[in-house]
Amino acid sequence: MTPILELRNGSKDYRGVYAVRDVSFDLRPGEVHALLGENGAGKSTLTKMLAGVVQPSAGEVWLDGAAVELATPADALARGVAMVYQETSLVPSLTVAQNLYLMDKKPFHRLRGAYIAGQQFLQSLNFHVDPTALVGALGAGQKQMVEIARAVHHNARVIIFDEPTATLTPEEKHQFFALVERLRKRGVSIVFISHALEEALQLSDRITVMRDGRHVVTDDTAAFDREKIVRAMVGRDLTDELYGAHRERRARPAGKAVLSVQNLSMGAAVRNTSFSVFAGQITGVFGLIGSGRTEAAKVVAGVMKRDFFHGGQVRLEGRPVRYRAPRPAVRDGIIYVTEDRKAEGFFETMSIAENIHLGAMAGGRTRSRLVSFREMREIAKEWTEALNVKAINADARVIELSGGNQQKVVVAKALVQKPKMVIFDEPTRGVDVGAIAEIHQFINRLADEGVAVMVISSYLPEVLHLSDRILVCRQGRIVEEFTGGEADEARIMYAAVH
Amino acid sequence: MRVFGRLSQEQIVFGLAVLLTIGFALTLPGFLTANNLLNLVRSVSILGILGVAMGLVVIGRGIDLSLVALMAISVAWALQLAAGGYPLWLALALGLGFSLAVGMINGWLIAYVEIPAIFATLAMGAAIYGFGRYFMFSLDVLYMSDNARPLEALGQGSLFGVPAPIYLFAAVCLVTYLFLRYTAQGRYLRAVGDNLQTARITGAPVRPIIVLQYMISSLIGFVAGLVTAASVASMNTRVANSTMVYDVILVVVLGGIGLSGGRGGVRNVVVGTLLIGVLLNGMTIMDIQYTVQNVIKGVILLAAIVIDTLLNPRDEQTAQQGDI
Repeated sequence: MTPILELRNGSKDYRGVYAVRDVSFDLRPGEVHALLGENGAGKSTLTKMLAGVVQPSAGEVWLDGAAVELATPADALARGVAMVYQETSLVPSLTVAQNLYLMDKKPFHRLRGAYIAGQQFLQSLNFHVDPTALVGALGAGQKQMVEIARAVHHNARVIIFDEPTATLTPEEKHQFFALVERLRKRGVSIVFISHALEEALQLSDRITVMRDGRHVVTDDTAAFDREKIVRAMVGRDLTDELYGAHRERRARPAGKAVLSVQNLSMGAAVRNTSFSVFAGQITGVFGLIGSGRTEAAKVVAGVMKRDFFHGGQVRLEGRPVRYRAPRPAVRDGIIYVTEDRKAEGFFETMSIAENIHLGAMAGGRTRSRLVSFREMREIAKEWTEALNVKAINADARVIELSGGNQQKVVVAKALVQKPKMVIFDEPTRGVDVGAIAEIHQFINRLADEGVAVMVISSYLPEVLHLSDRILVCRQGRIVEEFTGGEADEARIMYAAVH
Repeated sequence: MRVFGRLSQEQIVFGLAVLLTIGFALTLPGFLTANNLLNLVRSVSILGILGVAMGLVVIGRGIDLSLVALMAISVAWALQLAAGGYPLWLALALGLGFSLAVGMINGWLIAYVEIPAIFATLAMGAAIYGFGRYFMFSLDVLYMSDNARPLEALGQGSLFGVPAPIYLFAAVCLVTYLFLRYTAQGRYLRAVGDNLQTARITGAPVRPIIVLQYMISSLIGFVAGLVTAASVASMNTRVANSTMVYDVILVVVLGGIGLSGGRGGVRNVVVGTLLIGVLLNGMTIMDIQYTVQNVIKGVILLAAIVIDTLLNPRDEQTAQQGDI
């Protein structure tokens, strides 16, 4: 059987750092193909090459047995390849129907016609979405339906889903699974990226596992079980080393409460949530994307811009505080380490040393108000050694480093400010395996030194491995608390989704 | 830019300036005369001082289109006050105060109200020009009164045969260089220009720094205005409606300070000033029409911005497209 869509020996590098290296991938007509791998394994990049979002640095994309060049996503769509993103690509200020017909090659649309056609079309797919509703007002699940409907409308023969279930409630998930079945019956070929192994095992015909930008294995789903997938995903028995199921050490006892949050609210993202973080302990926060965990942390640390105060109280060591900007929070010792390294993690025109030194200066940890280049070198040396940043020297620009080393610089830039409390938001996202272990080690050391540490992660093994105490966040509030001993994967996940 | 091997934009521009100078010296009879060189040096200095002001703002990822209008109005007002009987020092202090106040409003609009710099300063430029012409004085051109004569030294004096404006240009360059390199505020300014969001999270005083940067540009602009007025013993406020502010941007961008912020420094302004100063002077000697000069300058500015965008993409995300 000729594959409908293929990548032959595809590679993609960003400034010499390979996201995908020499990977071949094929999709058969009418199959559901799951693409699995850890964060940073290259899944997204692979699918983006297939959908014309990025161009391979080497290798070819084949469609229907012929080499093609997919220059843009629109180009791919015209040939029947659509991609449905995690963060949706819809226009929030337009209605559902307008979004559906946005890319049609018709200069004018009659709005009423679009609504009637949209209504019929959505019904034919069994989607309960109002075509006249503004997309911005829809929930995550409905937005995804609109995206899928748009792909089907454009006669997509191949639909690529990037983590389709990450933001869905269990009910929406079931609807999604049913939809995939219907699409399969219509002869649509599907690729989906997932972190949930059970979904992949349940839904797919074949599974491909990637690791560190390389292809590991592709086989029929029947040939896989959970164990085998995990082994393929992490290589060796690294999981045990990194996220050991049996933790040797005991949970650290709680020190005094550094931060206590009472009834904090902000719009729809944070709803009346309360929690505390203690010194000398790692408090893990688990929640699905959109559960409000990042938002709550950002409000606490003054990072979130907000026009109105929605109520609630934040106490730092018993003293009520309310930060409108990160600077006073930093000066008081609360530091937020961002989940989005590229957008707000480091200064790309500056060297490693300048980045770390700027953190020290902003935290008031330099000896004087004037810049001393000797001090800058000393600080840089101290921290690149402490975190084992691998670079030619401290004058290298951060943008030229690998993801793991960039993250270490971001962490160094924060920790040089000698915080009382650090909030790590997804500290190992897009970081290679070796660096993950080092960053975890460092987070542990911080807690041992008596700093209050909060780790937000959507990767359950990471939360379980690091935390002395686990908070579970759902729909804008902390719904459950586990101490290290009593937590297990199933109970936490149950609390996060139900 | 691979053709140029490992030369930076700064070095390329410097090379072009030298070549152009040699070219003009050999082909244009009037170019090497003492009179013309003096003229060249003076205009280059004013352009350069304004370039430093603009460069500082652009490094902070902003732009100050009110720079020239503000310099014209605040200095003209100071001259008017001096002519009206105020002691010179008080007149200058009031002019400077006005200039700083407007700079502060610019910064406040941009940092706190969060209006894009290009619109805030464009509107401010028009507003202060109109305000000055209507409320402060009714003439286009303000002449220096007798009690303001001491100022002339700034424009027409010389020390060891080197005209005073050059010293002022050098001083402004030096102070700005030291500010950017050795003060916390200078570092923050570069950080804000590089990535405002990161600077904010890191705990830099982002908003005060933005206000400060527009106040500094107003201050330096005032110095440039004094040199302008001193050179010709008057201030022609119509300069606010000229293309001068675009000449200044041309100097900054051509010198290699990326509009994406965070990149470049005083050295880039100096080389940009050399090239544009020599070019403008040469075109004037060749008697190229003013309007044709504008075409040439406009094309060079567009080309420089296009090259700048290619060299320094404004957004790393769009340049690299997404995560791994």
